[in-house]
Amino acid sequence: MSADPDEELVRRVGAGDPAAVQTLVARKLPRILALAVRMLGDATEAEDVAQETFLRIWRHALSWRRGNARFDSWIHRVTLNLCYDRLRRRRQWVTDDLPEMVDPSTLPDAHPQEDALRVEQALQGIAPRQREAIILVYYQEMSNIEAAATLQISVDALESLLSRGRRSLQTILARDGADE
Amino acid sequence: MGKGKTMAEGSRNEPAMDAKRFAALAAAYGGDLRRWPEAERMAGAVFAASEAGQAILRHAGTLDGLLDSYRVEAPGKILHGAILQAAGRHLVQRRRQRFWWLGLGLAGIGLAGAVAGLALVSIVTPEVQPDHYVLDANATAFGDAGPDRDTIEEDL
Repeated sequence: MSADPDEELVRRVGAGDPAAVQTLVARKLPRILALAVRMLGDATEAEDVAQETFLRIWRHALSWRRGNARFDSWIHRVTLNLCYDRLRRRRQWVTDDLPEMVDPSTLPDAHPQEDALRVEQALQGIAPRQREAIILVYYQEMSNIEAAATLQISVDALESLLSRGRRSLQTILARDGADE
Repeated sequence: MGKGKTMAEGSRNEPAMDAKRFAALAAAYGGDLRRWPEAERMAGAVFAASEAGQAILRHAGTLDGLLDSYRVEAPGKILHGAILQAAGRHLVQRRRQRFWWLGLGLAGIGLAGAVAGLALVSIVTPEVQPDHYVLDANATAFGDAGPDRDTIEEDL
């Protein structure tokens, strides 16, 4: 396994180095917040999740030891678990059924502001497991191996989630485009 | 598309990729090969040059374009500051806890030392005979001067 680029920084945070704390926040907060915003579709809730994630980082930094996962994967897992807690509370679970295949050429023309909103809503409309797979690989730019490790599934299972998730998104976006 | 074009030659270290696998990867990871599994990127790039590869990537790229439009704002200063403040509080609390545990540890060591010292003193110090002791009312310097048991039995 390759070296963890965050390992030394986490060790310094665990030792109580204030400069390391600042560096870690600057390095990880944008990623954690982006992950939570896209998972929850709610900026305020996502900020709460980001704060809770960092509280757990401070609590565990001293005892954190690299096992099978990198530190970045671990904080993604923590963030996702906190997002799931909130999704459960909201009872916004959706079915994991596969939508029908659509031709992406039928997707409506791009208008950045509207498209962003439609994609945000479409992401909230697909199954959470598909959503997290897409977010990790597409937006968080994790490799397939890192994303699979974070989701604690095989690479094959990850690919399946990604394919089904993208297909679901295409279906929702094409339907929304047709409704307009 | 001819049969020969569905199978692209891979690099020396990678197996060639067929259209089915190429399409499966594009369906999962999208049209940007940088997101594809590293082990299959090279073979994918070779196939991407083909007509079929171009069509598959265009197909996947439509959704990629929409996904790209969804950007998230950078964290605000208030959130950033709140997280750093919480970290500061946590560090202070941990220092206090460490100090408290250190004090407790020292007290424990002191207590253990005192107990060990007492135990040692009780073992090492010889038993001190008392200067005097209260004699039994029936005892004399020559022994027990109480009524003789045999005599008592005879009297009976």
